[in-house]
Amino acid sequence: MSGASAAPLRGRAGSPRATPVSPFVLKAVAGLLLLVLWEFVVRMLAPGYVARPSGIARVFSSVITDAQFLAAAGATLGAVAQGLAVSLLAGTAVGFLMGRAAVAEHGLRYYVNSLFATPMVAILPLVTLWFGYNADARFAVVVFAAFFSVVVNACDGARSVPPEYLEVAQAFRARPLSTLIDVVFPASLPYLLAGARLAAGRALIGAVVAEFFISIPGLGYYLLYNSRTFKHNEAFVAVIMLVAVGVGFEALINWLTKRYLPWSRRD
Amino acid sequence: MQQQKNRLRYATIAASLALGAVAWEVAGHLTSGAFWAPLSATLRSLVEVARSGVLLKQGTNSLELYLTGLLLAIAVGAPLGMLLARVAWLRIALEDYIMMLYATPMVALVPFILSMLGFGFVPKVLVVFLFAVFPVLYNTVEGARSIKPELVEVAHSFRSGEWQLWRDVMIPYTLPFMMTGIRQAIARGLVGMVVAEFFLSPSGLGQMIMMGSQNFDTAGMLAAIFIIVLLGVGLMDLGRYLENRFAAWKGYNP
Repeated sequence: MSGASAAPLRGRAGSPRATPVSPFVLKAVAGLLLLVLWEFVVRMLAPGYVARPSGIARVFSSVITDAQFLAAAGATLGAVAQGLAVSLLAGTAVGFLMGRAAVAEHGLRYYVNSLFATPMVAILPLVTLWFGYNADARFAVVVFAAFFSVVVNACDGARSVPPEYLEVAQAFRARPLSTLIDVVFPASLPYLLAGARLAAGRALIGAVVAEFFISIPGLGYYLLYNSRTFKHNEAFVAVIMLVAVGVGFEALINWLTKRYLPWSRRD
Repeated sequence: MQQQKNRLRYATIAASLALGAVAWEVAGHLTSGAFWAPLSATLRSLVEVARSGVLLKQGTNSLELYLTGLLLAIAVGAPLGMLLARVAWLRIALEDYIMMLYATPMVALVPFILSMLGFGFVPKVLVVFLFAVFPVLYNTVEGARSIKPELVEVAHSFRSGEWQLWRDVMIPYTLPFMMTGIRQAIARGLVGMVVAEFFLSPSGLGQMIMMGSQNFDTAGMLAAIFIIVLLGVGLMDLGRYLENRFAAWKGYNP
């Protein structure tokens, strides 16, 4: 194929303009095709109760206005938001401490790294021993899932502050606290946002997994219960909700990074 | 000066680990046995499961599940990502959906898998696979987007064939990104493994944790959790090593 002409040259790994159709149309057609494929595969191969697009569309509006579903969504998302808030505040504090004080870094590093690497699912039985089968246990799992990714990223961020910034702060006799707030914090924002994104994803997984395990009202339990009673279409609405929250948060972080931190491209 | 600093550093690390061990031991003696077990009891339990062969059996079981799912995810995600790297229209059509699936908490699909596929080995592999495949795919596609069109044009100007184009441009440029994906997949796959062992049929290390908690054998449970923590740390280091090894790859500008 050494004689490949110049014709296919554009459009390879190039800009979206390279294709004849507009990207939007392309994406829409692809999405539609995927849905049709899903519908057909399920109709052909799977039993009637399995979720498929037409079934989900049929039950969607009644589920989304169902008080029980809304309560479940509120419970899960509330727990995620609270756990995330606690993790972001405490995690940033611990991370900054580790990033700026060598003693703290050396003392805590092994604990933070190992707990960061631990799948939060593994500690579920332990958490239920401590807190019982209730919402507190879910909250603990969410914090465990989110906290360490915030710490790791805040620590990296605090360490990545250019030394010149700190020297200038020192030259102006800034107090340690104002150095931290006015220099270290803004300089490590890209890292903090990356940590927040990671933490949010993990917190969501933590909440759902905890609800599976503990069986308390929430989106995870809602979809577990409905899938067990073979109402897969209803259960899938909960999945859509979770995807929307996950993607929404991801988009929010991307937007914040682009809008306020255009100088940092850190993926 | 540097030497002194290093010595202080190691002293701090040693002190913190020793303190942690003591705290673990003391906490075990102060609380009721159902809440926490002393370090000594946990280690004794660890030695016991290691000696009786339970650890080896359950560990192999877990690793078999994990590696099957992870390798399948890489075997599917990497070539598919590469294909999307080469065929621009396909990439544009699918990248938003891949991003969406990447951000989806895959645990949400576990109840469906359970009720459709039941308890065998296959559904569990599917769980690990689903946890691991989208990071590989998503990051490889991200890498594909980073390839400058000029590079491909230059390759064409020099009459590169399809194979040469892949060898000299596509693969070197997407590989570092793919390795980032594999690092994420290594971590997510481990979560998938424990999820599968908890919520589908109990097996492996997950089953050891569950049995410990059901029999109020807190030391046994902590021993199993400890193994998973070690596994997690080891795998994370492996993932970082892989990523750094290929981040220095030619043509990669971070």
